[in-house]
Amino acid sequence: MSAPRLVEHFFRHEYGRLVATLSRRLGVQHLEAVEDAVQAALMTALESWTVAGLPDNPSAWLFRVARNALVGELRQRTRRGRILGETRSEYMGAPEDAPEPFLAGEMPDDLLRMLFVCCDEGLPPESQLVLALKTLCGFDVREIALRLFSTEANVYKRLERARNRLREVPPSIDELTFEQYSSRLPAVHKILYLLFTEGYLSSHAETAIRQELSDEAIRLASILAEHPVGKAPETSALLALMHLHAARITARQDASGGLILLEEQDRALWDQERIQLGLSWLADSARGDVFSRYHAEAGIAAEHCLAPSFAETRWEKVVECYALLEQVAPSALHKLNRAVAVAQWQGPAAGLALLEGFEPPSWLAGSYQWAAVLADLHRRCGHDHAARRYRDVAVKSAPTQAVRELLERRLQIGT
Amino acid sequence: MPKYLCMQRNLRTANSPKGEKPSPAQMQEMYAQFGAWQAKFKTNLVDMGGKLGQGRLVTSQPAADGPFVEVKELVGGYMIVSADNLDEAIEVARGCPGLVGPSSGVEVIEIHTP
Repeated sequence: MSAPRLVEHFFRHEYGRLVATLSRRLGVQHLEAVEDAVQAALMTALESWTVAGLPDNPSAWLFRVARNALVGELRQRTRRGRILGETRSEYMGAPEDAPEPFLAGEMPDDLLRMLFVCCDEGLPPESQLVLALKTLCGFDVREIALRLFSTEANVYKRLERARNRLREVPPSIDELTFEQYSSRLPAVHKILYLLFTEGYLSSHAETAIRQELSDEAIRLASILAEHPVGKAPETSALLALMHLHAARITARQDASGGLILLEEQDRALWDQERIQLGLSWLADSARGDVFSRYHAEAGIAAEHCLAPSFAETRWEKVVECYALLEQVAPSALHKLNRAVAVAQWQGPAAGLALLEGFEPPSWLAGSYQWAAVLADLHRRCGHDHAARRYRDVAVKSAPTQAVRELLERRLQIGT
Repeated sequence: MPKYLCMQRNLRTANSPKGEKPSPAQMQEMYAQFGAWQAKFKTNLVDMGGKLGQGRLVTSQPAADGPFVEVKELVGGYMIVSADNLDEAIEVARGCPGLVGPSSGVEVIEIHTP
Protein backbone atom coordinates (compact mmCIF):
# COMPACT_ATOMS: atom_id res chain seq x y z
CA MET A 1 0.00 0.00 0.00
CA SER A 2 1.33 3.41 -0.84
CA ALA A 3 -0.20 6.86 -0.58
CA PRO A 4 -1.79 7.97 -3.84
CA ARG A 5 -0.40 11.08 -5.45
CA LEU A 6 -1.98 14.43 -4.80
CA VAL A 7 -2.28 17.16 -7.40
CA GLU A 8 0.48 19.72 -7.45
CA HIS A 9 0.23 22.40 -4.75
CA PHE A 10 -2.70 20.53 -3.18
CA PHE A 11 -1.84 21.54 0.40
CA ARG A 12 -1.11 25.15 -0.48
CA HIS A 13 -4.26 25.62 -2.52
CA GLU A 14 -6.46 23.80 0.00
CA TYR A 15 -5.05 26.14 2.62
CA GLY A 16 -6.16 29.15 0.58
CA ARG A 17 -9.59 27.74 -0.13
CA LEU A 18 -10.26 26.71 3.47
CA VAL A 19 -9.07 30.01 4.93
CA ALA A 20 -11.28 31.88 2.47
CA THR A 21 -14.35 29.73 3.16
CA LEU A 22 -14.03 29.59 6.93
CA SER A 23 -13.23 33.26 7.38
CA ARG A 24 -16.25 34.11 5.28
CA ARG A 25 -18.44 32.10 7.61
CA LEU A 26 -16.89 33.35 10.82
CA GLY A 27 -15.77 36.81 9.91
CA VAL A 28 -12.28 37.93 8.98
CA GLN A 29 -11.68 39.26 12.50
CA HIS A 30 -11.05 35.60 13.35
CA LEU A 31 -8.52 35.20 10.55
CA GLU A 32 -5.74 34.08 12.84
CA ALA A 33 -7.83 31.40 14.55
CA VAL A 34 -9.00 30.25 11.12
CA GLU A 35 -5.45 29.99 9.83
CA ASP A 36 -4.36 28.02 12.91
CA ALA A 37 -7.27 25.60 12.52
CA VAL A 38 -6.54 25.08 8.82
CA GLN A 39 -2.86 24.49 9.51
CA ALA A 40 -3.76 21.92 12.18
CA ALA A 41 -6.25 20.21 9.85
CA LEU A 42 -3.60 19.86 7.16
CA MET A 43 -1.21 18.33 9.70
CA THR A 44 -3.89 15.87 10.80
CA ALA A 45 -4.50 15.01 7.17
CA LEU A 46 -0.82 14.39 6.56
CA GLU A 47 -0.65 11.99 9.51
CA SER A 48 -3.89 10.23 8.76
CA TRP A 49 -3.78 9.96 4.97
CA THR A 50 -0.30 8.54 4.85
CA VAL A 51 -1.45 5.67 7.06
CA ALA A 52 -5.07 5.13 6.10
CA GLY A 53 -5.03 6.38 2.52
CA LEU A 54 -6.91 9.25 0.97
CA PRO A 55 -10.56 9.78 1.91
CA ASP A 56 -13.15 9.87 -0.88
CA ASN A 57 -13.34 13.64 -0.84
CA PRO A 58 -10.13 15.11 0.62
CA SER A 59 -11.39 18.69 0.42
CA ALA A 60 -14.56 17.91 2.34
CA TRP A 61 -12.56 15.89 4.88
CA LEU A 62 -10.26 18.84 5.49
CA PHE A 63 -13.16 21.24 5.78
CA ARG A 64 -14.85 19.07 8.41
CA VAL A 65 -11.70 18.71 10.50
CA ALA A 66 -10.80 22.41 10.30
CA ARG A 67 -14.35 23.53 11.03
CA ASN A 68 -14.68 21.26 14.07
CA ALA A 69 -11.38 22.47 15.48
CA LEU A 70 -12.44 26.05 14.94
CA VAL A 71 -15.86 25.61 16.53
CA GLY A 72 -14.20 24.03 19.55
CA GLU A 73 -11.69 26.82 19.83
CA LEU A 74 -14.26 29.59 19.52
CA ARG A 75 -16.62 27.89 21.98
CA GLN A 76 -13.82 27.80 24.51
CA ARG A 77 -13.11 31.46 23.92
CA THR A 78 -16.79 32.27 24.38
CA ARG A 79 -16.80 30.33 27.64
CA ARG A 80 -13.68 32.14 28.82
CA GLY A 81 -15.28 35.41 27.72
CA ARG A 82 -18.42 34.64 29.70
CA ILE A 83 -16.42 33.80 32.79
CA LEU A 84 -14.64 37.11 32.42
CA GLY A 85 -18.01 38.80 32.03
CA GLU A 86 -17.30 39.89 28.50
CA THR A 87 -20.04 39.88 25.99
CA ARG A 88 -18.89 37.91 23.07
CA SER A 89 -22.05 37.54 21.12
CA GLU A 90 -19.95 37.57 17.98
CA TYR A 91 -19.09 33.93 18.54
CA MET A 92 -22.72 32.92 18.48
CA GLY A 93 -24.15 31.55 15.31
CA ALA A 94 -21.30 29.12 15.05
CA PRO A 95 -20.50 27.75 11.64
CA GLU A 96 -22.15 24.39 12.27
CA ASP A 97 -25.49 26.17 11.83
CA ALA A 98 -24.58 26.82 8.25
CA PRO A 99 -25.56 24.24 5.65
CA GLU A 100 -22.92 21.81 4.50
CA PRO A 101 -20.42 23.43 2.21
CA PHE A 102 -19.21 22.62 -1.27
CA LEU A 103 -22.00 23.75 -3.41
CA ALA A 104 -20.46 23.97 -6.82
CA GLY A 105 -19.00 27.38 -7.41
CA GLU A 106 -18.78 28.32 -3.76
CA MET A 107 -15.01 28.04 -3.56
CA PRO A 108 -14.11 30.56 -6.27
CA ASP A 109 -16.57 32.99 -4.68
CA ASP A 110 -14.87 32.67 -1.33
CA LEU A 111 -11.40 32.97 -2.80
CA LEU A 112 -12.41 36.05 -4.71
CA ARG A 113 -14.03 37.60 -1.69
CA MET A 114 -10.84 37.03 0.27
CA LEU A 115 -8.88 38.68 -2.52
CA PHE A 116 -11.08 41.76 -2.20
CA VAL A 117 -10.67 41.63 1.58
CA CYS A 118 -6.88 41.69 1.13
CA CYS A 119 -7.16 44.77 -1.06
CA ASP A 120 -8.34 46.96 1.79
CA GLU A 121 -7.74 50.64 0.99
CA GLY A 122 -6.47 51.14 4.53
CA LEU A 123 -3.49 48.87 3.89
CA PRO A 124 -0.33 49.73 1.98
CA PRO A 125 0.11 47.59 -1.16
CA GLU A 126 3.04 45.65 0.39
CA SER A 127 0.81 44.52 3.25
CA GLN A 128 -1.96 43.62 0.82
CA LEU A 129 0.47 41.52 -1.16
CA VAL A 130 1.85 39.71 1.87
CA LEU A 131 -1.65 39.04 3.18
CA ALA A 132 -2.70 37.60 -0.17
CA LEU A 133 0.38 35.39 -0.36
CA LYS A 134 -0.25 34.10 3.15
CA THR A 135 -4.00 33.54 3.09
CA LEU A 136 -4.76 32.83 -0.57
CA CYS A 137 -1.60 31.15 -1.80
CA GLY A 138 -0.72 29.33 1.44
CA PHE A 139 2.92 30.45 1.68
CA ASP A 140 4.34 30.83 5.18
CA VAL A 141 6.33 33.82 6.41
CA ARG A 142 9.67 32.22 5.57
CA GLU A 143 8.58 31.34 2.06
CA ILE A 144 7.15 34.81 1.44
CA ALA A 145 10.39 36.46 2.61
CA LEU A 146 12.36 34.25 0.22
CA ARG A 147 10.13 35.14 -2.70
CA LEU A 148 9.95 38.87 -2.07
CA PHE A 149 13.64 39.29 -1.19
CA SER A 150 12.60 40.52 2.21
CA THR A 151 13.37 39.49 5.77
CA GLU A 152 11.09 37.28 7.83
CA ALA A 153 10.77 40.07 10.40
CA ASN A 154 9.67 42.47 7.71
CA VAL A 155 7.10 40.08 6.28
CA TYR A 156 5.81 39.36 9.76
CA LYS A 157 5.44 43.08 10.45
CA ARG A 158 3.43 43.64 7.29
CA LEU A 159 1.26 40.65 8.08
CA GLU A 160 0.59 41.86 11.61
CA ARG A 161 -0.39 45.24 10.28
CA ALA A 162 -2.85 43.62 7.92
CA ARG A 163 -4.33 41.37 10.63
CA ASN A 164 -4.72 44.24 13.04
CA ARG A 165 -6.52 46.22 10.42
CA LEU A 166 -8.88 43.32 9.70
CA ARG A 167 -9.61 42.91 13.41
CA GLU A 168 -10.42 46.58 13.84
CA VAL A 169 -12.48 47.05 10.75
CA PRO A 170 -14.03 43.71 9.98
CA PRO A 171 -14.97 44.28 6.37
CA SER A 172 -18.53 43.15 5.92
CA ILE A 173 -17.94 42.40 2.30
CA ASP A 174 -21.05 40.27 2.12
CA GLU A 175 -23.09 43.42 2.16
CA LEU A 176 -20.96 45.14 -0.42
CA THR A 177 -22.80 46.16 -3.49
CA PHE A 178 -21.63 45.46 -6.99
CA GLU A 179 -20.49 49.09 -7.18
CA GLN A 180 -18.42 48.74 -4.03
CA TYR A 181 -16.78 45.61 -5.36
CA SER A 182 -16.00 47.61 -8.47
CA SER A 183 -14.32 50.34 -6.47
CA ARG A 184 -11.80 47.82 -5.09
CA LEU A 185 -11.25 46.19 -8.45
CA PRO A 186 -8.33 48.48 -9.45
CA ALA A 187 -6.55 47.56 -6.21
CA VAL A 188 -7.16 43.87 -6.94
CA HIS A 189 -5.66 44.29 -10.41
CA LYS A 190 -2.69 46.07 -8.95
CA ILE A 191 -2.02 43.27 -6.46
CA LEU A 192 -2.27 40.58 -9.12
CA TYR A 193 0.02 42.59 -11.37
CA LEU A 194 2.49 42.99 -8.52
CA LEU A 195 2.32 39.27 -7.73
CA PHE A 196 2.99 38.45 -11.37
CA THR A 197 5.90 40.83 -11.83
CA GLU A 198 7.45 39.77 -8.52
CA GLY A 199 7.67 36.34 -10.07
CA TYR A 200 8.38 37.28 -13.66
CA LEU A 201 10.94 40.03 -13.17
CA SER A 202 12.53 38.71 -10.01
CA SER A 203 16.20 37.95 -10.34
CA HIS A 204 15.83 34.93 -8.08
CA ALA A 205 18.15 32.20 -9.19
CA GLU A 206 15.59 29.44 -9.19
CA THR A 207 13.20 29.59 -12.11
CA ALA A 208 10.78 27.28 -10.35
CA ILE A 209 10.43 29.64 -7.42
CA ARG A 210 9.85 32.63 -9.66
CA GLN A 211 7.39 30.80 -11.80
CA GLU A 212 5.33 29.84 -8.78
CA LEU A 213 4.43 33.46 -8.08
CA SER A 214 3.52 34.11 -11.70
CA ASP A 215 1.41 30.95 -11.75
CA GLU A 216 -0.43 32.06 -8.61
CA ALA A 217 -1.15 35.45 -10.19
CA ILE A 218 -2.54 33.77 -13.32
CA ARG A 219 -4.62 31.37 -11.23
CA LEU A 220 -6.25 34.17 -9.23
CA ALA A 221 -6.70 36.44 -12.25
CA SER A 222 -8.40 33.60 -14.13
CA ILE A 223 -10.86 33.11 -11.28
CA LEU A 224 -11.46 36.86 -11.24
CA ALA A 225 -12.12 36.99 -14.96
CA GLU A 226 -14.74 34.23 -14.70
CA HIS A 227 -16.75 36.09 -12.10
CA PRO A 228 -19.26 38.92 -12.61
CA VAL A 229 -17.45 41.21 -10.14
CA GLY A 230 -14.19 40.79 -12.00
CA LYS A 231 -15.37 40.76 -15.59
CA ALA A 232 -13.80 43.95 -16.89
CA PRO A 233 -11.62 44.90 -19.86
CA GLU A 234 -8.74 45.54 -17.45
CA THR A 235 -8.97 42.00 -16.09
CA SER A 236 -8.80 40.58 -19.62
CA ALA A 237 -5.86 42.84 -20.49
CA LEU A 238 -4.09 41.78 -17.30
CA LEU A 239 -4.54 38.10 -18.16
CA ALA A 240 -3.38 38.79 -21.70
CA LEU A 241 -0.15 40.37 -20.55
CA MET A 242 0.46 37.60 -18.01
CA HIS A 243 0.07 34.84 -20.59
CA LEU A 244 2.09 36.70 -23.23
CA HIS A 245 4.97 37.12 -20.80
CA ALA A 246 4.69 33.66 -19.24
CA ALA A 247 4.81 32.11 -22.72
CA ARG A 248 8.39 33.31 -23.05
CA ILE A 249 9.68 32.74 -19.51
CA THR A 250 11.65 29.57 -20.24
CA ALA A 251 13.50 31.21 -23.14
CA ARG A 252 14.84 33.95 -20.88
CA GLN A 253 17.51 31.83 -19.22
CA ASP A 254 20.22 29.56 -20.50
CA ALA A 255 20.99 26.20 -18.96
CA SER A 256 23.33 27.69 -16.37
CA GLY A 257 20.83 30.33 -15.25
CA GLY A 258 22.34 33.19 -17.27
CA LEU A 259 19.93 35.77 -18.68
CA ILE A 260 19.30 35.86 -22.41
CA LEU A 261 18.40 39.05 -24.23
CA LEU A 262 15.20 39.19 -26.23
CA GLU A 263 17.16 39.42 -29.49
CA GLU A 264 19.16 36.30 -28.62
CA GLN A 265 16.21 34.19 -27.49
CA ASP A 266 15.29 31.04 -29.35
CA ARG A 267 11.76 31.89 -30.41
CA ALA A 268 11.02 28.22 -31.02
CA LEU A 269 11.02 27.82 -27.22
CA TRP A 270 8.13 30.20 -26.82
CA ASP A 271 4.91 28.49 -25.80
CA GLN A 272 2.66 29.04 -28.83
CA GLU A 273 -0.43 27.67 -27.13
CA ARG A 274 0.00 30.17 -24.34
CA ILE A 275 0.59 32.99 -26.81
CA GLN A 276 -2.74 32.14 -28.47
CA LEU A 277 -4.40 32.18 -25.07
CA GLY A 278 -2.90 35.59 -24.34
CA LEU A 279 -3.99 36.92 -27.71
CA SER A 280 -7.56 35.78 -27.17
CA TRP A 281 -7.64 37.58 -23.81
CA LEU A 282 -6.21 40.63 -25.57
CA ALA A 283 -9.04 40.50 -28.11
CA ASP A 284 -11.46 40.16 -25.22
CA SER A 285 -9.98 43.20 -23.49
CA ALA A 286 -10.70 45.38 -26.51
CA ARG A 287 -14.42 45.20 -25.86
CA GLY A 288 -15.63 48.44 -24.36
CA ASP A 289 -13.84 51.76 -24.44
CA VAL A 290 -11.40 51.27 -21.57
CA PHE A 291 -7.67 51.58 -22.22
CA SER A 292 -5.54 50.81 -19.15
CA ARG A 293 -1.85 50.38 -18.57
CA TYR A 294 -2.48 46.64 -18.77
CA HIS A 295 -3.80 47.09 -22.30
CA ALA A 296 -0.66 48.99 -23.29
CA GLU A 297 1.66 46.42 -21.72
CA ALA A 298 -0.24 43.50 -23.20
CA GLY A 299 -0.03 45.25 -26.58
CA ILE A 300 3.75 45.51 -26.30
CA ALA A 301 4.07 41.88 -25.25
CA ALA A 302 1.82 40.83 -28.15
CA GLU A 303 4.01 42.65 -30.67
CA HIS A 304 7.06 40.74 -29.44
CA CYS A 305 5.19 37.42 -29.45
CA LEU A 306 3.94 37.96 -33.01
CA ALA A 307 7.24 39.11 -34.48
CA PRO A 308 8.92 36.33 -36.49
CA SER A 309 12.33 37.65 -35.41
CA PHE A 310 13.86 40.48 -33.41
CA ALA A 311 14.71 42.40 -36.59
CA GLU A 312 11.22 41.98 -38.00
CA THR A 313 9.49 43.36 -34.91
CA ARG A 314 7.03 46.13 -35.71
CA TRP A 315 8.97 48.65 -33.65
CA GLU A 316 6.70 51.53 -34.63
CA LYS A 317 3.83 49.67 -32.95
CA VAL A 318 5.93 49.01 -29.85
CA VAL A 319 6.85 52.70 -29.69
CA GLU A 320 3.19 53.62 -30.03
CA CYS A 321 2.23 51.30 -27.15
CA TYR A 322 4.96 52.75 -24.92
CA ALA A 323 3.72 56.26 -25.70
CA LEU A 324 0.19 55.18 -24.72
CA LEU A 325 1.57 53.53 -21.59
CA GLU A 326 3.25 56.79 -20.62
CA GLN A 327 -0.05 58.57 -21.01
CA VAL A 328 -2.12 56.22 -18.83
CA ALA A 329 0.64 55.45 -16.30
CA PRO A 330 3.29 58.16 -16.41
CA SER A 331 6.68 56.78 -15.41
CA ALA A 332 10.22 57.66 -16.40
CA LEU A 333 10.87 53.93 -16.85
CA HIS A 334 8.32 53.80 -19.66
CA LYS A 335 10.03 56.73 -21.37
CA LEU A 336 13.31 54.87 -21.14
CA ASN A 337 11.72 51.78 -22.66
CA ARG A 338 10.24 53.89 -25.44
CA ALA A 339 13.73 55.24 -26.19
CA VAL A 340 14.97 51.65 -26.58
CA ALA A 341 12.13 50.87 -29.01
CA VAL A 342 12.72 54.11 -30.93
CA ALA A 343 16.39 53.18 -31.25
CA GLN A 344 15.38 49.86 -32.84
CA TRP A 345 12.96 51.59 -35.14
CA GLN A 346 14.82 54.73 -36.22
CA GLY A 347 18.36 54.13 -35.03
CA PRO A 348 20.29 54.73 -31.79
CA ALA A 349 20.64 58.48 -32.40
CA ALA A 350 16.84 58.86 -32.45
CA GLY A 351 16.65 56.93 -29.18
CA LEU A 352 19.24 59.19 -27.60
CA ALA A 353 17.45 62.26 -28.92
CA LEU A 354 14.30 61.21 -27.07
CA LEU A 355 16.20 61.21 -23.78
CA GLU A 356 18.04 64.43 -24.59
CA GLY A 357 17.56 66.94 -21.79
CA PHE A 358 15.41 64.48 -19.81
CA GLU A 359 16.20 64.54 -16.11
CA PRO A 360 15.42 61.08 -14.70
CA PRO A 361 14.10 60.88 -11.16
CA SER A 362 16.78 59.85 -8.69
CA TRP A 363 15.48 56.25 -8.28
CA LEU A 364 15.93 55.70 -12.00
CA ALA A 365 19.11 57.74 -12.45
CA GLY A 366 20.85 55.54 -9.89
CA SER A 367 19.57 52.28 -11.35
CA TYR A 368 21.41 49.91 -13.65
CA GLN A 369 18.57 50.12 -16.22
CA TRP A 370 19.13 53.82 -16.90
CA ALA A 371 22.89 53.51 -17.12
CA ALA A 372 22.71 50.35 -19.23
CA VAL A 373 20.37 51.85 -21.82
CA LEU A 374 22.48 55.00 -22.14
CA ALA A 375 25.67 52.95 -22.35
CA ASP A 376 24.16 50.82 -25.10
CA LEU A 377 22.80 53.76 -27.13
CA HIS A 378 26.08 55.68 -26.88
CA ARG A 379 28.02 52.53 -27.79
CA ARG A 380 25.93 52.05 -30.91
CA CYS A 381 26.41 55.73 -31.83
CA GLY A 382 30.17 55.28 -31.48
CA HIS A 383 30.45 57.59 -28.45
CA ASP A 384 32.97 55.32 -26.72
CA HIS A 385 33.81 57.67 -23.91
CA ALA A 386 30.23 58.18 -22.76
CA ALA A 387 29.50 54.50 -23.33
CA ARG A 388 32.32 53.43 -21.01
CA ARG A 389 31.25 55.84 -18.31
CA TYR A 390 27.64 54.59 -18.30
CA ARG A 391 28.71 50.97 -18.62
CA ASP A 392 30.82 51.19 -15.46
CA VAL A 393 27.89 52.67 -13.56
CA ALA A 394 25.55 49.97 -14.86
CA VAL A 395 27.86 47.09 -14.00
CA LYS A 396 28.49 48.50 -10.56
CA SER A 397 24.80 48.83 -9.72
CA ALA A 398 23.69 45.48 -11.16
CA PRO A 399 21.50 43.76 -8.54
CA THR A 400 22.61 40.19 -9.26
CA GLN A 401 25.47 38.28 -10.77
CA ALA A 402 23.30 37.15 -13.69
CA VAL A 403 22.46 40.76 -14.57
CA ARG A 404 26.10 41.82 -14.18
CA GLU A 405 27.29 39.12 -16.56
CA LEU A 406 24.64 40.08 -19.07
CA LEU A 407 25.71 43.74 -18.95
CA GLU A 408 29.38 42.93 -19.36
CA ARG A 409 28.62 40.72 -22.32
CA ARG A 410 26.29 43.17 -24.01
CA LEU A 411 28.17 46.40 -23.38
CA GLN A 412 31.55 45.45 -24.81
CA ILE A 413 32.99 48.55 -26.36
CA GLY A 414 35.27 48.38 -29.42
CA THR A 415 38.86 49.40 -28.91
CA MET B 1 9.82 -13.43 7.42
CA PRO B 2 10.17 -12.31 11.02
CA LYS B 3 8.15 -9.31 12.12
CA TYR B 4 9.38 -6.32 14.05
CA LEU B 5 7.57 -3.82 16.23
CA CYS B 6 8.71 -0.25 15.56
CA MET B 7 7.88 2.23 18.28
CA GLN B 8 8.38 5.94 17.79
CA ARG B 9 10.12 7.30 20.88
CA ASN B 10 9.70 10.88 21.88
CA LEU B 11 13.16 12.34 22.56
CA ARG B 12 11.98 15.86 23.13
CA THR B 13 13.24 17.33 26.39
CA ALA B 14 12.16 20.45 28.21
CA ASN B 15 14.94 22.43 26.53
CA SER B 16 14.42 21.07 23.04
CA PRO B 17 13.84 23.88 20.60
CA LYS B 18 10.22 24.01 19.52
CA GLY B 19 10.05 22.73 15.99
CA GLU B 20 8.73 25.17 13.42
CA LYS B 21 5.41 24.26 11.94
CA PRO B 22 5.79 22.96 8.42
CA SER B 23 4.27 25.11 5.70
CA PRO B 24 1.63 23.66 3.36
CA ALA B 25 4.28 23.36 0.64
CA GLN B 26 6.53 21.43 3.02
CA MET B 27 3.62 19.17 3.99
CA GLN B 28 3.13 18.36 0.33
CA GLU B 29 6.81 17.48 0.16
CA MET B 30 6.53 15.29 3.27
CA TYR B 31 3.48 13.57 1.83
CA ALA B 32 5.41 12.80 -1.35
CA GLN B 33 8.43 11.52 0.59
CA PHE B 34 6.17 9.30 2.66
CA GLY B 35 4.59 7.90 -0.48
CA ALA B 36 8.00 7.18 -1.97
CA TRP B 37 9.11 5.42 1.21
CA GLN B 38 5.93 3.31 1.28
CA ALA B 39 6.42 2.35 -2.33
CA LYS B 40 10.05 1.42 -1.76
CA PHE B 41 9.32 -0.84 1.22
CA LYS B 42 5.83 -1.98 0.32
CA THR B 43 6.61 -5.66 0.92
CA ASN B 44 8.02 -4.83 4.39
CA LEU B 45 5.20 -2.63 5.63
CA VAL B 46 2.83 -5.16 7.19
CA ASP B 47 0.84 -2.84 9.41
CA MET B 48 1.15 0.94 9.32
CA GLY B 49 -0.10 1.06 12.90
CA GLY B 50 -0.92 4.52 14.10
CA LYS B 51 -0.50 7.15 16.77
CA LEU B 52 -1.14 6.20 20.36
CA GLY B 53 -3.75 7.92 22.48
CA GLN B 54 -4.84 7.66 26.10
CA GLY B 55 -4.18 4.52 28.09
CA ARG B 56 -4.07 3.07 31.56
CA LEU B 57 -1.94 0.46 33.24
CA VAL B 58 -4.07 -2.35 34.63
CA THR B 59 -2.56 -4.46 37.42
CA SER B 60 -3.71 -6.70 40.23
CA GLN B 61 -2.66 -3.99 42.65
CA PRO B 62 -5.07 -1.19 43.50
CA ALA B 63 -4.33 1.90 41.43
CA ALA B 64 -1.65 3.99 43.01
CA ASP B 65 -1.98 7.72 43.18
CA GLY B 66 -0.55 9.59 40.23
CA PRO B 67 1.12 11.34 38.64
CA PHE B 68 1.63 8.82 35.89
CA VAL B 69 3.72 9.30 32.83
CA GLU B 70 1.35 8.99 29.89
CA VAL B 71 2.39 6.25 27.49
CA LYS B 72 1.94 8.62 24.57
CA GLU B 73 4.48 10.96 26.12
CA LEU B 74 7.05 8.22 25.65
CA VAL B 75 5.79 6.44 22.58
CA GLY B 76 4.28 8.46 19.76
CA GLY B 77 3.10 5.64 17.59
CA TYR B 78 3.88 2.19 16.31
CA MET B 79 3.99 0.12 13.15
CA ILE B 80 4.87 -3.45 12.28
CA VAL B 81 7.34 -4.31 9.54
CA SER B 82 8.52 -7.64 8.24
CA ALA B 83 12.18 -8.12 7.40
CA ASP B 84 14.78 -10.85 7.09
CA ASN B 85 16.67 -9.60 10.11
CA LEU B 86 16.94 -6.76 12.59
CA ASP B 87 19.30 -4.75 10.39
CA GLU B 88 16.90 -4.82 7.49
CA ALA B 89 14.01 -3.82 9.78
CA ILE B 90 16.12 -0.92 11.04
CA GLU B 91 16.76 0.16 7.49
CA VAL B 92 13.03 0.25 6.78
CA ALA B 93 12.31 2.24 9.95
CA ARG B 94 15.18 4.62 9.40
CA GLY B 95 13.90 5.45 5.94
CA CYS B 96 10.51 6.58 7.24
CA PRO B 97 10.34 10.37 6.79
CA GLY B 98 10.15 12.27 10.06
CA LEU B 99 10.67 9.22 12.27
CA VAL B 100 14.35 9.58 13.12
CA GLY B 101 15.31 13.16 13.84
CA PRO B 102 16.42 15.58 16.53
CA SER B 103 13.34 15.04 18.70
CA SER B 104 12.22 11.57 17.76
CA GLY B 105 13.74 8.13 17.45
CA VAL B 106 12.51 4.63 16.78
CA GLU B 107 12.87 1.45 18.76
CA VAL B 108 12.89 -1.67 16.61
CA ILE B 109 12.03 -4.93 18.44
CA GLU B 110 11.73 -8.40 17.04
CA ILE B 111 8.40 -10.14 17.62
CA HIS B 112 8.82 -13.82 18.38
CA THR B 113 6.00 -15.82 17.01
CA PRO B 114 5.59 -19.50 17.86
